[in-house]
Amino acid sequence: MMLDITGKRSLFLIISEIIILIGIIALAVFGLKPGIEFSSGSMLTMSFEQEIDQSELREELTSLGYDNAIIQRTAAGDFFIRTQELTSDEKIALEEALGARFGALAEREFYSVSSMVAAETVHNAVIAVAIAAVGILLYITWAFRRMPKPFHYGVCAIIALVHDVVLVTGIFAILGAIIGWEINLMFITGVLAVIGYSINNTVVVFDRIRENLRRGVHPDFEMVVNSSLVETLSRSLNTSLTTLLVVLALLLFVGASIQNFALVMLIGVIVGTYSSLFVAPTLLIVWERGEWGNLIPLRRAKTKEA
Amino acid sequence: MARRNTIVFFIIAAIFAFAVCALVYPLFDREEMRLGLDLVGGVHLVYQADFPEDSSAEERTAAMDRALITIEKRIDKYGVAEPIIQQLGDDRIIVELPGFTDIDAAKSLVEQTGFLEFREAELNGAGQPVYLADYLEQGNLSFIDLQEDGDRVFVLDILNEKEMLEHKTIAFLVADNGEIKLTDASGNPADREALEQYAAQSLSWISARGDDGTPLTGDLLADAFPSLDQSKVVPVPQVSIEWNSEGSIIFDQIAKRLYNSGAYGTPQRALGIFLDDTLLSAPQILESSYGGSGVITGNFTREEATELANLLKSGALPMPLKQPPLYQEKISATLGADFIDMSLMAGLIGIILVMLFMIVYYRLPGVLASLALIFYGAVVLAIFKLIPVTLTLAGIGGFVLSIGMAVDANVLIFERMKEEFAAGRTLGAAIEAGFNRAWTAIRDSNVTTFIVCAILYWLGSSIIASAPVMGFALTLFIGVAVSMFSAIVVTRTLLRLFVGTKLAKRTSLFSAHREKK
Repeated sequence: MMLDITGKRSLFLIISEIIILIGIIALAVFGLKPGIEFSSGSMLTMSFEQEIDQSELREELTSLGYDNAIIQRTAAGDFFIRTQELTSDEKIALEEALGARFGALAEREFYSVSSMVAAETVHNAVIAVAIAAVGILLYITWAFRRMPKPFHYGVCAIIALVHDVVLVTGIFAILGAIIGWEINLMFITGVLAVIGYSINNTVVVFDRIRENLRRGVHPDFEMVVNSSLVETLSRSLNTSLTTLLVVLALLLFVGASIQNFALVMLIGVIVGTYSSLFVAPTLLIVWERGEWGNLIPLRRAKTKEA
Repeated sequence: MARRNTIVFFIIAAIFAFAVCALVYPLFDREEMRLGLDLVGGVHLVYQADFPEDSSAEERTAAMDRALITIEKRIDKYGVAEPIIQQLGDDRIIVELPGFTDIDAAKSLVEQTGFLEFREAELNGAGQPVYLADYLEQGNLSFIDLQEDGDRVFVLDILNEKEMLEHKTIAFLVADNGEIKLTDASGNPADREALEQYAAQSLSWISARGDDGTPLTGDLLADAFPSLDQSKVVPVPQVSIEWNSEGSIIFDQIAKRLYNSGAYGTPQRALGIFLDDTLLSAPQILESSYGGSGVITGNFTREEATELANLLKSGALPMPLKQPPLYQEKISATLGADFIDMSLMAGLIGIILVMLFMIVYYRLPGVLASLALIFYGAVVLAIFKLIPVTLTLAGIGGFVLSIGMAVDANVLIFERMKEEFAAGRTLGAAIEAGFNRAWTAIRDSNVTTFIVCAILYWLGSSIIASAPVMGFALTLFIGVAVSMFSAIVVTRTLLRLFVGTKLAKRTSLFSAHREKK
C-alpha cells in the first residue's frame, strides 16, 4: 500500500494558506526590526565588574542625553546598549561617565554604522535578493526546460519559495515585536541560503515526476506525482534531517553573531521541506485539474455537500 | 575497471594525505588558519576619503595609493600580525587589525597626520658617530652633542629573514623638564637590559638643521618621484627629489656639512629620511651642493622607488578622512576565545551526528560516506588554510552547514541504489546505476547554492567588506564544491573496492532489500 500524500492535498494547502496569512499579517502589522547595519547607529556591549541594575543604567543614560538608548542584558550578564551613531569623543565621554557611576567596565564589543553605509547596505541587500530571484527564475526555466509544461512547474516552484520566505520573515516580524529581535546582514544571508536550499528539494521532486511521466508509470497524473513523492520521500527527509542536525548544532553551540542565520536556516529547512513535499507538487495537480476553487475552504465544504 | 579504480583510490589517498599534512605542518608558509576578527578579537574600520571637489580621477587614484602605503607603514610599527589595509571601491579604505583591540588607539593611529623629517648621525667631540652604547655607558644621561638638544632616535640596522636591510627604531632619548630620559616608542622608560645587546649597532640620529637651526622636514620638499638613472648601461630605478626655495638653501647647508664630515659610506655622510620616527632610507650625500634637487639611489626595484617617492610626498595622508569612520567594529579577544571552542564543538557534533545517522540508516554505504565525509572535512580545511580563507564564525557556520548538505549527494545516490537493487539489479550494477542516475539531480541541486554564494559574496564585499557574509559565501561555496567530489568520486571508489569482496555478499550491510514479487 503506497502512502497517499496527494490525496490530502486540500488539507496541506489550507495549512499553508493559514500560515502564509499569519506571516503576511505579522509583516504588515509589526514589520521587520532593522539592526544598526540597516538603520545606522552605535552598539556597545559592556561588562561591569560590579553587579549593576538595568534601571540604574537606563537612568544614567537618560541623564547623559541618551533617552532613546535600547538596553538589554545578555545571557553572559553583560549589557548591550544601542544608541544613535556616536562620534569618537561622544563614545569616550559615555564610557567615562558610566565608569564614574558604576565602577570599572570593559568594552567587549563595539559597532558603529554611519547612515551612508546603512543606506547602501539596504540598497545592496535589496539588489542581492532581486538578483537571487532572477537567478533562480533563470535556473528554474533551464532546469525544467524538458518538462511537459515548464511554466506550470516554474510557477509552482516559485509559489513554494515565496511561501517559505513569507513564513521565515513573518516569524522574524513576530520575534521582533515580542522580544525585540533585530534583523541584520546574517538574516539576509540566511534567507538567501534558504531560497537556494528550498528550491533544491523542489527540483529533486520535480525531476522525479519528469522521469516517471516519461516512463509512463501510471496514466493518472495525480498517481504519477504521488509515486514520485513517495519515491523521493526518504531522500527529502534524510537530507533535511542531516541539514537540521548541523543547523541545530550551530544554534546551540555557536549562537551569538550567527543566531539570526541559524534560526532562519532552522525555520527555513523545516518549512522548505514541507513546501517541496506538500505544496509545490500538490499545486501541480490542482493546476492540472483546475481545482483552484477547492483552495477556498468554504466553497470546498459546499461542493462536498452537493 | 578494477585497476582503474585502484589507481583512483591511491590518488584519493594521496590528496587526503596531502590535506592532512597541510593541516598539521606549516606548508607554503602557512602556519595557522587565518582567523577572523570575531574569533581572535580586533578592530575593523572603514574610512571614507574626503577629496577636494575639483580633484581629477588620476589625482584621486594616486592619493588613495599613497594613503594606503602611509597607513600600512604606521600600522607596521605596532607589530600587528597580518593587518589588512585595502582600498574599497573608489574612495574608501578598510583597516582590519586582528588581535588589536584598542579601537581608539587604532583610530588615532590611522587618522594622525604623519611627520616626515630628515636626520643625521650624532657626532662626538672627535667627529665620530655616536651609538646607543655610548649613552648606556653614562651614569647620568646627558647629550653627547651639546649643541643639539632635540630628541635622539636610535635605529638598529639588521638583516631580516629575506636578507633585506631593515631599519628598526628601538629607543628614544628625550629631554623632559630638564631631565634626559631613555624611552620606548610609547614614551615609557626603556628597558636598558633588553637594549644592551643591540646598543653597539644602534646609531643615534639627531635632527638635520640648517645653519639658522631650521630643521629639514617634509613641508620643505616640493616634489618626489621615481625616475631612472640613465648613466648606467642598464638604467637603475632611483627617486628624484626637489626642494622648495627655503628647502634648497637649508638642504645645501646640510649637504655641505655632511659631505665634509666623513668619507663616502660612513654614517657621517648619510642623511636619514624618517617618517613618524621610522627610518625609511639613509642615502649618502655625494656632493657638497645640490641646488634644489637631488636623487636618492640604492638597490631599488621600480616598486620600491615608487613607494619611497610616495612616502616622501605623503608624510601626511594625501587627503583627510571623513569623521567618524563609516563603519567601526571592535570585538574583544576574550569573546573570541569562547567562540573558537563553541564553533569547534558545533562542527564536531554536527559531523558526528551526521555520520551516526548515515551509518545507522545506510549501514555499509553509510560507513563509506562517513569516510568520504572525513576526507571532505580534511580537504576543505586544508583549502581554507592554504588559500587562506579568513575563518569567521559565519564562515565556520557555512562549513558546518556544508557538512549537512555534503551528504545530500550521498543520500541521493544511496536511495537510488536501493531502488535499483530492489528492482532486481546486481549489487554492482545497482551501485553504478545509482551514481549515474543521481548525477543530474546532484548537479542541478547544487547550482542554486552556487548562485546564492556568488550573490552573497558580492553583497558582503560591496560596502564594508563584511567578513561574516563573505566568509560564509566562500566557505559554503568551497564546501559544496568539494562535497560533490567527495560524495561522488570518493564514495564510489570506496564502494567499488567492496564489490566483489565477501562483505558485498551480505546485502544486509547495504540495507537493501529486493521487492517481493
